Amino acid sequence: MSKKILILSQSYLESTTDQVCQWMDYLKIPYLRLNGEDFFRFQQLSDLPDNTETAVVWYRRKIAHFPAEFSLKQPDFNSQYTMKRFLVDEFNGLHSFLFHSIDAQKWLNDPLSEKNLNKLQVLQLARRLNILTPFTEVVTTKTKIMALLEQYPALIVKPLSECILLEDTERRAYKMLTSTIDQKSLGAVPETFFPSLVQERIVKKFEIRTFYLDGVCYSMAIFSQNNRKTTDDFRNYDNHRPNRTVPYKLPADLEHKLDQLMKILRFRTGSIDLMVDMQGNYHFLEINPEGQFGMVSHPCNYYLEKKFARLLHQSVLHEKEIHQQPENKENAAPATVFSEAE
Amino acid sequence: MEYLNIYANCQLVKGANMSLLCDLQMRRFYHLPNDTAEVLLFLQQYSIDECIAHYGEDNREAIAGYVDFFVSRELGFIDDRILPELTAMELTWDRFADITNVVIEYQETIDYTGSFFRELLDQHLEGLEIRFYQPVALPELRELLALFSDSTLRHIKLVLPYEKSLNIAALDELVKKHQRVKSLLVHSSPEEKLEKIFSNSVPVYYFTGKINSCMACGEIRAHHFTVNTELFTESLRFNSCLNRKLSIDQQGYIKNCPSMRENYGHVADTSLQAVLDNKTFNRYNHIRKDDIAVCKDCEFRHVCTDCRAYIENPQDIYSKPLKCGYNPYTNNWEEWAQHPMKQAAIEWYGMAEIIK
Repeated sequence: MSKKILILSQSYLESTTDQVCQWMDYLKIPYLRLNGEDFFRFQQLSDLPDNTETAVVWYRRKIAHFPAEFSLKQPDFNSQYTMKRFLVDEFNGLHSFLFHSIDAQKWLNDPLSEKNLNKLQVLQLARRLNILTPFTEVVTTKTKIMALLEQYPALIVKPLSECILLEDTERRAYKMLTSTIDQKSLGAVPETFFPSLVQERIVKKFEIRTFYLDGVCYSMAIFSQNNRKTTDDFRNYDNHRPNRTVPYKLPADLEHKLDQLMKILRFRTGSIDLMVDMQGNYHFLEINPEGQFGMVSHPCNYYLEKKFARLLHQSVLHEKEIHQQPENKENAAPATVFSEAE
Repeated sequence: MEYLNIYANCQLVKGANMSLLCDLQMRRFYHLPNDTAEVLLFLQQYSIDECIAHYGEDNREAIAGYVDFFVSRELGFIDDRILPELTAMELTWDRFADITNVVIEYQETIDYTGSFFRELLDQHLEGLEIRFYQPVALPELRELLALFSDSTLRHIKLVLPYEKSLNIAALDELVKKHQRVKSLLVHSSPEEKLEKIFSNSVPVYYFTGKINSCMACGEIRAHHFTVNTELFTESLRFNSCLNRKLSIDQQGYIKNCPSMRENYGHVADTSLQAVLDNKTFNRYNHIRKDDIAVCKDCEFRHVCTDCRAYIENPQDIYSKPLKCGYNPYTNNWEEWAQHPMKQAAIEWYGMAEIIK
């Protein structure tokens, strides 16, 4: 049996996976796409993809929604939430079995490294590689914040983990975003609080989102400074005045360091967030190894979906150790035959 | 020293007298005199002061005005240097399908489930336009749209004649069920109006004119101009009207476009692969706007829809679209149908009746 490209994704809201798959269809590269939703049709463990049949794995997403319903004998909001969490854990118990059953080197990104990624550790690694990072601290008291504000005109607070979306009883959604603490907003800070990540606030000229693909950095500058709404966090979109997004080339030295960082973490792909201050210094912020790349690919016309399809293909060929020429459609001679037609 | 950095996705296209600054990201264009375009090109290498020194003190105000315009429209920003890291955008174009867009002139006697259509739907099609010249009943329409339910086709545009039974409620229900339908054009309507259905997301354009043949097609109008990276980059290398596009006419013949004469076989007995391999089918693909007479001097050439079916000189495939009234040398829009130079071609295509 021939070895396959395995793509782990979800059925809905996944245009990045869809487009990579469409490129693979077009380039006649065989693959198997397994959506989280498919796990609900499996009959037995042996229906899961097998290590020996798998050449390379791209893990993009787990699942969009569970096609499952439950009811509680005693309806209660907290139990409802606990039950939902429980189902997530149950599903993960099955899904992450693949992280162990399929050899780690077959995954584009080491799945356990990705699962256990820690923001503080990544910042520490970056500093060790002499990549500039914003001053970062985890604090619990207002006193400490005040002391830091002596050194830095402003701080930002952001989660140590990931931003979440909160919903109220009327299902209105509240997005968690990075926000600023300065002398003006200090009043709202309680004396003591939950351990929180703070960083010096960089006055940015623009932000950079880099998609790292197997050693190559595809970068995009995001100009949002003109928009006060997005000054702290470009995800706080303004639909009337969208951010300007244009191709960007990082200095070779920084690209080299980022390449080292990704290699240490055993990631062959991922998004890297950086900021450029008013003096032109680059500050490394974080890595998002499963980052979607459509938001870099399309504005910069990078065709990353096609490059990604090729990378998966090369990985299979490498795994097979067969050095055959892949079918190459776009290099076919263009058909311009006016003379014979008219 | 102050420099104006212009964003890479703002592309300048120079015409005979005027230039078009295409903001590919914000999907807008700005029509500028070529003199202004010259200054902008100069500013891509020199500081604002050097630019003023070059063009003379008399032009200081004008140059400052251009810079202000660029900054206020967020087409660029001022810095103490030209940032070399802000690289040029690669203007390549490609797509994961040999056919991206299809036009079907619907005819009830044609079997749309045959092998040709199955092959076509295996392509990752972007858009499909289905034109109905005759009234169609709702069940028939539903049945037809159901054929696309399991495909990766993204958009369907329906062109329908006005029918009382196809009221807004019925169309709304239809579009909710078949969410690929992203726009509708209702011709032969008693009034001109625009309605929006499916929670305001799908426009229905009511149009009093009658569309009963493909001869109504091919008009070049300013409101058809589209500014985006996809069309711009495709237009730089390929024909923006026909590249990777296919049509099936009322008789079931496979064509580049319903308005063209030559066909590449009938859907009943032709395979899509055979059409794709047919060099004649592909012969328009590489006719760029930069190769077409007059169009090559037109600043709108890379935001234009082009038309290769109806051209000023039917014997010269490199001639300008017949139904374009824009003159890039005078920068005026004229009624193309009245133009004395176009009467021979109008006659040749037999469209004198249609355009009255």
